[in-house]
Amino acid sequence: MMAGMTTIVRTISRLLFPFMVLFGVYIILHGHLTPGGGFQGGVIIAASFVMLWLAYSLEQSPIEFKLFRTEVLEAIGGLTLATVGLVGLVMGMGKFFGHVLPLGILGSVFSGGDLPLLNIGVGIEVAASIILVFYAMLRKVGWDEK
Amino acid sequence: MIEIPPIIAIVLPLFGAFLTPIIATISRRYDAERKVCGWFTVAITIAMLLTVASMGARIWGGEVIVYRLGGWSPPWGIVLAVDGLNLLIALIVAGVSSLVAIYSLVYMRRDTRIDLYCALLLLVTAGAMGITLTGDLFNLYVFFEIMSISSYALVAFRRKWDSVEAGIKYMIIGSLGTSLILLGIALLYGMVGSLTIADLAQKLGQIAPSDVVVPLALLVTGFGIKIAMIPLHAWAPDAYQAAPSSISALLAGATTTAGLYAMIRVVYMMFGAFGVGTIFAIFGLVTMVLGALMALTQRDLKRLLAYSSISQMGYILLGVGFGTALGFQGSLFHLLNNAIFKALLFMCAGAILYRVGTTNLDELGGLGKNMPITAGLFAIGALAISGVPPLNGFASKWTIYIAGIEAGKAVFSLIAIIMSVLTLAYFLKAINSIFLGQRPKRLQNVEEAPLTMLFPMMLLAVLCIVLGVLPSLGIDLVAPAQGAIMNQSGYIHAVLGGI
Amino acid sequence: MSLNYVVAMLLIALGLYCLLLKRNLIKMVIGLGVMTDGIHLFLISMGYREGGIAAIVPAGMLQDNVAAGFASAAVDPIPQALVLTSIVINICIVALALSMAIWVYHHYGTLDPSEVRRLRE
Repeated sequence: MMAGMTTIVRTISRLLFPFMVLFGVYIILHGHLTPGGGFQGGVIIAASFVMLWLAYSLEQSPIEFKLFRTEVLEAIGGLTLATVGLVGLVMGMGKFFGHVLPLGILGSVFSGGDLPLLNIGVGIEVAASIILVFYAMLRKVGWDEK
Repeated sequence: MIEIPPIIAIVLPLFGAFLTPIIATISRRYDAERKVCGWFTVAITIAMLLTVASMGARIWGGEVIVYRLGGWSPPWGIVLAVDGLNLLIALIVAGVSSLVAIYSLVYMRRDTRIDLYCALLLLVTAGAMGITLTGDLFNLYVFFEIMSISSYALVAFRRKWDSVEAGIKYMIIGSLGTSLILLGIALLYGMVGSLTIADLAQKLGQIAPSDVVVPLALLVTGFGIKIAMIPLHAWAPDAYQAAPSSISALLAGATTTAGLYAMIRVVYMMFGAFGVGTIFAIFGLVTMVLGALMALTQRDLKRLLAYSSISQMGYILLGVGFGTALGFQGSLFHLLNNAIFKALLFMCAGAILYRVGTTNLDELGGLGKNMPITAGLFAIGALAISGVPPLNGFASKWTIYIAGIEAGKAVFSLIAIIMSVLTLAYFLKAINSIFLGQRPKRLQNVEEAPLTMLFPMMLLAVLCIVLGVLPSLGIDLVAPAQGAIMNQSGYIHAVLGGI
Repeated sequence: MSLNYVVAMLLIALGLYCLLLKRNLIKMVIGLGVMTDGIHLFLISMGYREGGIAAIVPAGMLQDNVAAGFASAAVDPIPQALVLTSIVINICIVALALSMAIWVYHHYGTLDPSEVRRLRE
């Protein structure tokens, strides 16, 4: 149904895909130190998947897409966010989003209390959501129901 | 003492909305998806209602509950502040959404994708609750957007041509409104440098009024689009007609209430702009008149109810616009009553649609013999909305009339009384077309609505009667809210005093 | 410096024009996007301080007393946080609007909002 692109585009996207995902993960993990964070990194990861779908077509994409797995990942991402906040409520003496993990040395990756966990949760959720949005638009999921 | 209830009341529906897809997938294996999702939604909304009610005793004792997110104090942190006004609106929102959740158990039986519906319903509830409980202006904007976007998706839920067209219209106009709100917030931040509502209330008093006119106008326009004030009402009739009836009840009861609360809080408590009242009164009058006149000519029941909603919102704006204590009391009481009887009327329309399949007044008739309970409940709702004693509409409308005479604008009260008579007229016409008269052959075997659908409707009708016979109950509920509006300094000190 | 504000107002006006007066659903969505971009530009420009550094602690400052020097030298980070939140919200709105536009096109073959009503028969 959807045509792919030329051989050059296919080869380059297949080669670039792991680096793009790695770059997205880097942006998520360093969200408290450099510009970026959960949302931006999540969008980069989602964009790398969409790039593969555009270069190949949806059916012939080298990464197999499982709808169920992505939906569950999205829900887990959102739940991580809410759970981290609630744990702050329960253990941190009543502060929603109060810090549970220690604030470390300024400038190292393992610092900033809850923030890296929140970033990871947001990143997973955003990546899964945007992949689902594109999949639903391309596949026209559930359109011909009345 | 750590004040937990406000944050629990917001997190509960959010958590539920994220859990719903997982619960739906698991229960799909046992083929019980519909029941499990439905009851889960009901459980969460009732838990939320209980949480909100638990704050009641302390707030009516005169305390303002303040909760600091993450332990950061205002004005650097986000704060949730609950006083009398917030509590009233939160009770209305929580009550309406739990009744809509119970109603949806049966009403959505014939639709697919019930897990999406439940998740979106919980998101709308979370957004509305966030609007009512927050004390930070940008947090208000974010929750406003959450509520709006979920309601766009819910309006277009049944993917037929009219639902999608109504959804598109609602979305375009609604996004325009929220962009204007963002621009207003941006201007305010540039002027003052703070985003907490209490802090802004303090600092805006020192700025010349001519500078604040533009943000005030932008914010009023943005919120006015949400509550369907004339001339910003173009999305409302289509959206109310095309949405599933439970969603129309939710829109009329919860989202409009939250939007009106935001308007009152921003204009009266933040800007302290009691002088804007005259403009509100004029817009309220125009809204009331135009809504009632348009409702007279409608042939479809849900469209008639939509225009009637717009008209009732005009009454509330009129009361707010008078600016006196009695005016606020009347309009807040009418807000409470409006949520009750509008939800009741939309649920009745939904019951008719569920059993018959159409809400076109020309095609219905004589259903009084088939659906006596629904007819009785609809009659109670119709009499309440027209302001007939001894139902609750009479008490609140009477207060607004007296407030108008007291404020020296007796002409407004006169026009309001005439519009009440018109309201009675078109509702009597609707009752006549649907329940009395000749019954067409094909409607011979229509049954009464199912019991689970009737239960929330009966509860609302009982509330109509109780609040009408004992209006002092309603005034007791509303008095702390009205006191909170007139006494801003208590709120400001409670929120900022912790520094 | 006021060039930023002029451009922001221009973007808002153009976006509003597209949103209200174009007869094509995709163009209306683009207009909404342009208008919100104008508002974001306005917000960010408001947080600018002359000669300020970006609101990220650079490696050189980590050793000294960070808070005092940093707060006076950095630009205001709050508008940037507001704009980030607003961008995320706008993604949701644009995704929803485009899904509805695709639905309309798939079922009616046209993207003109005034045509949809006539084609329902």
